[in-house]
Amino acid sequence: MTEFLQSLPVYIALLAALLNLVRRQWSLNLVALVVQFICVFPPLLKILPLQLALIHPFTGLMVTLILYLTLLGVGGIKAIDLRHTLTSGELFRGAAGVFLLATLRAFLPQIHQAVFPLVSIDHLFLSLGLILIGLLQMGTIREPFYLAIGILTFLSGFELLYSGLEFSFLLEALLVAVNLLLAIVGSFFIIKDSESEAA
Amino acid sequence: MSNTVIIWIVLPALLGLSLIFIQRLPKLSAVLGTLFPLVFAGLALIFSRGLTLIFIGRVFTLADSLTIFGRTIQITADQLGIIALLYMLCFAWNLVGRLFIVSQWFNSLSLVITALWVSVQFINPFLYSAVVIELIALISVPLLSPRGTPARSGVLRFLSMQTLAMPLILLSGWMVSGIETSPSAEALVLRGALLVIAGFSLWAGIFPLHSWLPMLTEETHPWVISFLQTIMQIGLAFFSLKFLNQYAWLRNLEEIKIVLKWVGALCLISAGIIVTFQRKLSRIFGYLYLSGTGYIVLSMAFQQQGWLNLLTLYLLPRAFGYWSLGYALSLMHEALGSEALRLSELKGLIWRYPRISILLLCSLLNIIGMPLFSLFPSHRIIWSVLASESLPIRLLIGFGLIGMIIMFLRVLAAAIQPAGVINDDKQERAVLIVPVVMIISLMVLGGLFPQAFSTPLQDLFISFQNLLP
Repeated sequence: MTEFLQSLPVYIALLAALLNLVRRQWSLNLVALVVQFICVFPPLLKILPLQLALIHPFTGLMVTLILYLTLLGVGGIKAIDLRHTLTSGELFRGAAGVFLLATLRAFLPQIHQAVFPLVSIDHLFLSLGLILIGLLQMGTIREPFYLAIGILTFLSGFELLYSGLEFSFLLEALLVAVNLLLAIVGSFFIIKDSESEAA
Repeated sequence: MSNTVIIWIVLPALLGLSLIFIQRLPKLSAVLGTLFPLVFAGLALIFSRGLTLIFIGRVFTLADSLTIFGRTIQITADQLGIIALLYMLCFAWNLVGRLFIVSQWFNSLSLVITALWVSVQFINPFLYSAVVIELIALISVPLLSPRGTPARSGVLRFLSMQTLAMPLILLSGWMVSGIETSPSAEALVLRGALLVIAGFSLWAGIFPLHSWLPMLTEETHPWVISFLQTIMQIGLAFFSLKFLNQYAWLRNLEEIKIVLKWVGALCLISAGIIVTFQRKLSRIFGYLYLSGTGYIVLSMAFQQQGWLNLLTLYLLPRAFGYWSLGYALSLMHEALGSEALRLSELKGLIWRYPRISILLLCSLLNIIGMPLFSLFPSHRIIWSVLASESLPIRLLIGFGLIGMIIMFLRVLAAAIQPAGVINDDKQERAVLIVPVVMIISLMVLGGLFPQAFSTPLQDLFISFQNLLP
């Protein structure tokens, strides 16, 4: 039971990333992004002191806030509609995401042993899972907002993986800057797109 | 203030950011954006002989390192040549940037980007520079995709590729840490080398990961993209030399030389073949960058045979070639009012805009490396050395060159076709004759006296001691 509870954040984070990959509803995507960033915190807490483990979820919240305020400004925030039926594209992305995660899970012991023996299995599954889902999102979507979410997911996975390997304050500061700039770039794209649509 | 890191990284970045606040005063912003990089380049040249300067009886001594977050950034006197070159690029592009309708943030962001490219060369551990390169890509977005236009696929793909490269480089560093003490770890060496090559391929847009390059040159103003790509190409060249200089396992890997030769040759052939079929000058510009990357990679493949000297002969003419071509394309962009610059729109160009046409044709001949022009001496050395290489590599490079010549002939054919009836009120400004003659004269002088371009860069690679013969 304890093991399951310890692994729970891993699965919630991956589910949130899958939701972002599948659904195209800005409000829902922002909620899923927040959940994803928060669920990265427990695995980080296992390897880093509290103050350092808080950096990533805190940055994530800032990033989501920037995106939320931008969407609010352009009138993109609407009530979440959960009854919306899945389109074929959404089904494809969902199936591809689940397939990738299942394949990763199957080969995880080998990857763990051969490449990342110092990182725990759960930590590795979450980080590589986020990297794969982020990659899939970057490769299958052309809308700037979702590309920004894809890159954030990818970077989130990578940061998690790298923090399991080594930690540096300078690197952490640079990665925080990258995340915040990425949110600003995402907002820039959202504003540009809304301006062009209005024109 | 008396610290090299503050003077050449922190201060320019702050000044660049401060220019954002005066972007509504474009003239002042342009003047300051031109002046600042010139001052930083000048200071770098002055202090490159030593970090102590005696001026009117006063002694100025600069500290050479700064510690940030427990890591040291160090810039020594013999590395200031690299800084001078990067700031000179920023100066050259800001000098005439005001003539074109580019993003209002060009002056400020170009200075910030240059400061970041300088920091890429000196952050310690140098692998963390990969994150700074990602920052540069993100900061470039407002220049690549100005407001008023929707975000296009080129800039999105560019962002994705740059983001993918960063983890590869960081992981390569972690993977091979401690390899110097256990040189028998062959599998680790190969894995690390693969990650490094993949990372650099994504960054530089090396064939076959180059698709974003022509898309970006098509979507962006030629003046902006020529600056971003030139400083990126040169910045990445220095950064990759740093890799080779620092990592003995990478430098001594026999396979790396073979891979570099093939990568360089593939860049040249792919650029040469694809460019033959292009219908837009803007996309051709992208493939010329791919070809330039190919020549730089080839130079690195032969670094142990003294080819670093060749890079000193090559870098400045190449940058000047991009500058002149960017200038010609920007003039055409404004004159024709066309973003893509289709070859069909060039019909009769030489009759309508003779000065711009001559500049364009000479710039193309220069960048291809034809005799009489400034890139010919360095290209001739590369071709003659490669003549002793294997037949497939010779063929690839030969066909690549033929492709470039065919592209030039297509542009020439379009430009000299009779114009027909054109409802065009725009007239070419007579004063353009002055910059056109000056630029073409410089190209020819560079071809006749190649030392003129290489002498200022003579000590450029002195800090890469492990790569010097």
